[in-house]
Amino acid sequence: MWSGSITIGLVNVPVRLHAMIFDKGISFRFLHKDDGQPLKYERVCTKDEKVVPWESVVKGYEVSKDRFVVFDKEELNAAKPESNQTIRLQKFVDYFSIDPIYLDRPYVLSPDKSADAYALLFATLKKLGKAGVGKITLREKEYPVLVHPYRNSLVLTTLRYANEIADPNELEELRGLKEPSQEELNLAQKIVADLSGDFDITEYNDTYEERLNALIEKKMKGEVIVSEKPAKEEAKELMVALKETLEQLKKK
Amino acid sequence: MPERLTRVDFTNVDKILYPELGITKAQVIEYYIRIAPKMLGLLAERPLSLTRFPEGVDKKGFYEKDIPSGTPSWVKTFNRYSETAQRGINYIVCNDLDTLLWLANLAALEIHMTLSRTHSFESPDLVLIDVDPEPPASYQDAVEVALLLKENLDSLGLRSYVKTSGKKGLHAVIPIAQEYTFRQSREFVHQIGMRLARESKIVVAEFSRSRDPGTVFIDYLQNAHGRTMVCPYSLRATPTATVSMPLEWSEVKKGLNPEEFNILSARNIESNPWKDLLQDKQRLV
Repeated sequence: MWSGSITIGLVNVPVRLHAMIFDKGISFRFLHKDDGQPLKYERVCTKDEKVVPWESVVKGYEVSKDRFVVFDKEELNAAKPESNQTIRLQKFVDYFSIDPIYLDRPYVLSPDKSADAYALLFATLKKLGKAGVGKITLREKEYPVLVHPYRNSLVLTTLRYANEIADPNELEELRGLKEPSQEELNLAQKIVADLSGDFDITEYNDTYEERLNALIEKKMKGEVIVSEKPAKEEAKELMVALKETLEQLKKK
Repeated sequence: MPERLTRVDFTNVDKILYPELGITKAQVIEYYIRIAPKMLGLLAERPLSLTRFPEGVDKKGFYEKDIPSGTPSWVKTFNRYSETAQRGINYIVCNDLDTLLWLANLAALEIHMTLSRTHSFESPDLVLIDVDPEPPASYQDAVEVALLLKENLDSLGLRSYVKTSGKKGLHAVIPIAQEYTFRQSREFVHQIGMRLARESKIVVAEFSRSRDPGTVFIDYLQNAHGRTMVCPYSLRATPTATVSMPLEWSEVKKGLNPEEFNILSARNIESNPWKDLLQDKQRLV
């Protein structure tokens, strides 16, 4: 777990960082169909097809097709940003002025050692509706970050760099969009007004995962899974219906 | 070799299109096969627009006016310049069972039709009065307004045909002789709306007030060139697979529940209240 301090000028707020996002989703493993045993991956040299042990692995950057510059571990480590234990906040901005497109991954901050400084920073940001902007180094990568109040905690959200985000103007289809007519606008606004409501994320479930879970449970009980209606049967039923309707239409 | 009953090659028929009820595309196709005898005559020669949900109604669907790529050559189309799109649109026209089934296979769950027909596209043969409640106005409020509407149309000597929209409202349709413009039919409905607004506090006749909470809007705006109404018997992209269901006026009464008419129930209903719709060409007063 990362622990360190938020620093603002000369003030330190000691904190710990906790994961906040849990990527759900069911993962499968590859098995050998004949004996049900898990498969393993090996690094195989493309030239002599022999397995290469980890000691003999280096990293290469592909400069052009099949041309590499090679780095060993020390060389790459030297270029890595220094991990320091601080989140340096350089600026405070209105939280709602931040374009959400830049938000990447949130972490909960908890007070470390003393809770007073933490409570003060939380109360101040909450009162002012502000977020601190600064930098953190996590797993040898430097990220711009926001520190902002969320419910009764401070949350640190890593941000994306400006050059990681595509500019929509690069899409040709988006240039010179037509202004809709007032009539169209009125109608479209009516549709939007019709469908307006309060945002509630709990209205959304991963239905694929739900179905998978149900299937897994069935399997575990030893049930054999057959798709509910084989396509051929469906098609047969359709043809029966079709015949009847065609006859009915003919009578008219 | 078995006899080939349709030119449509059904694809992906096991795909679930209504996850809440577990309804597959095969069931959607079967629904349209069963309902076709009542539906086809009402659709004939009307340019259509579609709302397609190839991934199911819980996923994003899309609206389509133009023929999709890969449209078979036997599908009839109708070309018209569209002011809004500023180009010619090839509308689909559904005059036969194969076309209807081809639409179902495209997961075009909702089929919308114009209020005029290809041979005189500029003059409507149907007038649509859309009774559209705005919450907290309830379906029962809409039913009450629809009955008031019926009374008024009766007093003008006009026969009207009613259906559920399959969503939150009711549609009353007056078939007319093709001798009016859309401007006239629209103005007629607007006048009716104003008349009802004088008789009932909850009715609003103006678009600007249509979203006032607790009101019922008499929507006249669909009576326009190229605009559409959801077809009678079309499915809707609702979680419960509702249908825009033609009804007898006597069925429009307190307790009417539009959710009762869905993909599973609608095909078993034998009555055909809109049978004579297109023979009943009336004059607006």
